[in-house]
Amino acid sequence: MDDELRHHIECEVDEHVRAGMSPEEARRVAVAEFGGIEQVKEDARDAWGTRPVEEFIADVGYGARVLRRNPGFTAATVLTFALGSGAAAAIFSVVYGVLLRPLPYVDPDRLVVLWERNASRAAERNVVSVANFQAWRERSQAFDGMAALVPRPVTLTDAGGPERVAGTEVSPGYFRLLGVTPALGRDFDPDDENRADSRVVILSDGLWRRRFGADPAVVGRTLSVGGTPHSVLGVMPSGFEPPQFGWLGAQELWFPFQATPENRAWGRFLLVVARRRSSVSLERARAEMTILADRLAREVKADEGWTVTVVPLAAQITGDVRTALLVLQGAVGLLLIIAVINVGTLSLSQTLRRAPELATRRSLGATDGRLFRQLFAQSGLVGMLGAAIGGLVAWPTTRLIVSLAPAGVPRLDAVRVDTPVLLATLSMALLATLLFGTVAARGRPGADAALVMRSTGGRTTALAGGGALVVAEIAVALAIGVMAALAARTFVSLRAVDLGFHADGVMAARVALGAELGDSPARASFEALLERVRVLPEVQAAGLINTRPFGGLGVATDVTDPRPARPGPAPSLVADVRVADAAFFRVLRIPTERGTVFGPHEPTSGTPRVVISQSLHDAFWRGEDPVGRPLRLELYGGITADVIGVVPDLRLMDVRTPPRPTAYLADARFPDRERDLVVRFRGSAESIVPSLRTVLSTLEPGATLYRITMLPGLVAASLARDRLTALLLSGFAGLAVLLSAAGVFGVISTETARRRKEIGIRLAVGAAPSRVVRMLLGRALSRAAAGVAGGMAIALLFAHLMKSLLFGVAPHDPASFLTIAIVVVAVVVIATLVPAVQAIRSSPLDVLREG
Amino acid sequence: MSKDKVSTVLTPKADLLQGTLDLLILKALAAGPRHGWAVSKRIRQMSSEVLTVNQGSLYPALYRLEDRGWITSAEGVSPEGRRIRLYRLTPTGRRQLSTEIEAWRAFSGAVDRVVATE
Repeated sequence: MDDELRHHIECEVDEHVRAGMSPEEARRVAVAEFGGIEQVKEDARDAWGTRPVEEFIADVGYGARVLRRNPGFTAATVLTFALGSGAAAAIFSVVYGVLLRPLPYVDPDRLVVLWERNASRAAERNVVSVANFQAWRERSQAFDGMAALVPRPVTLTDAGGPERVAGTEVSPGYFRLLGVTPALGRDFDPDDENRADSRVVILSDGLWRRRFGADPAVVGRTLSVGGTPHSVLGVMPSGFEPPQFGWLGAQELWFPFQATPENRAWGRFLLVVARRRSSVSLERARAEMTILADRLAREVKADEGWTVTVVPLAAQITGDVRTALLVLQGAVGLLLIIAVINVGTLSLSQTLRRAPELATRRSLGATDGRLFRQLFAQSGLVGMLGAAIGGLVAWPTTRLIVSLAPAGVPRLDAVRVDTPVLLATLSMALLATLLFGTVAARGRPGADAALVMRSTGGRTTALAGGGALVVAEIAVALAIGVMAALAARTFVSLRAVDLGFHADGVMAARVALGAELGDSPARASFEALLERVRVLPEVQAAGLINTRPFGGLGVATDVTDPRPARPGPAPSLVADVRVADAAFFRVLRIPTERGTVFGPHEPTSGTPRVVISQSLHDAFWRGEDPVGRPLRLELYGGITADVIGVVPDLRLMDVRTPPRPTAYLADARFPDRERDLVVRFRGSAESIVPSLRTVLSTLEPGATLYRITMLPGLVAASLARDRLTALLLSGFAGLAVLLSAAGVFGVISTETARRRKEIGIRLAVGAAPSRVVRMLLGRALSRAAAGVAGGMAIALLFAHLMKSLLFGVAPHDPASFLTIAIVVVAVVVIATLVPAVQAIRSSPLDVLREG
Repeated sequence: MSKDKVSTVLTPKADLLQGTLDLLILKALAAGPRHGWAVSKRIRQMSSEVLTVNQGSLYPALYRLEDRGWITSAEGVSPEGRRIRLYRLTPTGRRQLSTEIEAWRAFSGAVDRVVATE
């Protein structure tokens, strides 16, 4: 362009020279005629289009200067935004890691879990019988493959001492089904399923490192499992995460599962995983399985009333954590909305405070678009700064959430603040802020130049848009508050639940007697063990049970009243079965309601004796004395036991699950080599655990003591999810109320500041200060009312979404709604009163003189 | 019109003449491609030294017309070795020129009739 313009001048000079001027004179005239080269250039650039870029850079610089000169405003908005987006990024990381991240298998979407289902017994997801697994596998068309799994905890007895290891029997096609292959050695082959007594194992990477020192030549070596040598077939890769669901926990060792005549008679105990054919939809697979199950139910007597449930593996694994996480994500989304609104309100009040300046700029020729772009750049800067700090906040917050989370949450160890998660959250947040900054800056800031510059602020009293923002903030804060209140009340109700036993001061440890041949019978071993344990100085009482309370799924079976009082079919139900000794009831301080519990010298043969729970009593013999009646249990090939006593219902599964009818059999009559030892003791766990270990190792060198926990710890752990939900929601609610209070305060103090003159006049002509305050409060309260109404609607929606998380409190719990509404309104009143009182305190004269 | 020389300087500030400037530039280029100075010279000549296009208006107008696609420019080199631009009319520009001429005739005819009315 420069060249072009200079060429123009030169042409002009030539012309003048031809007309007779001297070259110097000609040049002087030409340049003078031309005018300012720079001015021409600038005008030309305007027509050209580089100007927006230059202006953008200037706007950003200007925005930065404004922010630097208002550190209070900047800090408030940036911090608000940082907290909101940081919390959102942290929760989203957890949600992504646990719920959204694809499972680490080939085509994980096609993997499903198959359950048997019996609606009449409230068994929605029941384990599967061997016969049905085989029938499904042979007769279904919808699947590429199907594999059965069953936990098989074992004791490794090589050099290095006995160690209890979580083993699992799996169908030989299991790993191929998941699409994973061993890193070393080979997978099971189909023959391993049929080969009688095939003693082969596949190791996890962890077990291989621990037991074999990561020996690369491990394949073919033997591993002594319960005294029986097994040959190592392969080692799984280090990244392999076996799916955990049902009663499958961590797994370190795999055996081939073999269907045998015996285990076909065991009833239902298998977990079944299948891979859908790519051409078959989930619905079609479900339909096919339902038809197949109906046919089986007609063919096989034992399957009467049973059908099948098909659950996608991912949904099965995340299970009930899903709702909690989605609720948390919803809450954090609401929090983010407040943060965005706050950035909006703060920049809105900022814009209004700067009205005189903006009006001056407009008078000097700034266009609407230019002022708008400046405000846009400013809110963009705030958003970016906030998002950057939010990203920094996200890391420790995520770690905190992971550390607070209950131990059972699947895939939690893999949760981290991933770059994509962070980018998604932050860019979403940033976009929202820009949008909001734009909305806040609408309405032609400083447009009424004359009005603003004369400072006669009497006309526009309400902050345009401010009212709507206040209402929205109140509504969202209320919704989060109600969610938090519901979660907190749930936690309190759960804490108050009567478990039916006293857990405090009790520890539990699982004892597995050595499996070596020649060991003494289980009954004698446990008797000797208990004798030694009971004389330890710290121990008050010690007993045995097959599955400790809060120790996971135990045995359950059909029980029948074989001698019903009324004619007709014998009443039958599914009851939990626990095998315990007399001391178990003493240790947990469970009273006897009727009859007796077991004695110290239970008979080891003859008719079994059974203690029943209150609800089992009520189901069969309500109002009658059950003692002496027979009870049929489909267990140990079917037994009929004499009822000897009734105990209260216990919550054996967890705090939430209502007690199921339970039958207790005597350990002396039905001994086993593996039992939970429950011990009531004084003093610390640190001192008693070594004593127990010493006793056990002197008595039974091959035995192992594991899963050592304090019962109160188990109870607390079963509430960990509820505690985390309540804690996080309360945190969010506190943050939400704080942030919205800041937002409301910002809007109202700006409004009040703008009305100071009016207020001054009112006071000067004799209005009572209380009347002025009432006037200001009136508007705040009508906004609060609108916000509370909207908030109630949002809260109801969310409360129903979190229904399955609630316990002992209804989703529309009036107390929670009312309390939070009062808190929110109180906060609004305080946020209004502070600037209002400030306004009436200032002397009317000063205010008037300011104008 | 008297023989006294009345010179009018066209500037972008004179709103009435803004569209006129576009018309003049398009017309000046109708005879063939020219560089900036030649465009202003041609306008001066065509109007018998009555209309002078200020440089401050000429170049922004050229860029604007180029932006609208009515004219295109090509790089060239002046005898002094300066890089200059040669502007030429595009087919769209030619159509625009006839539209503007018609509009101008309608406008000036109307003004004439107003002026002629006693």
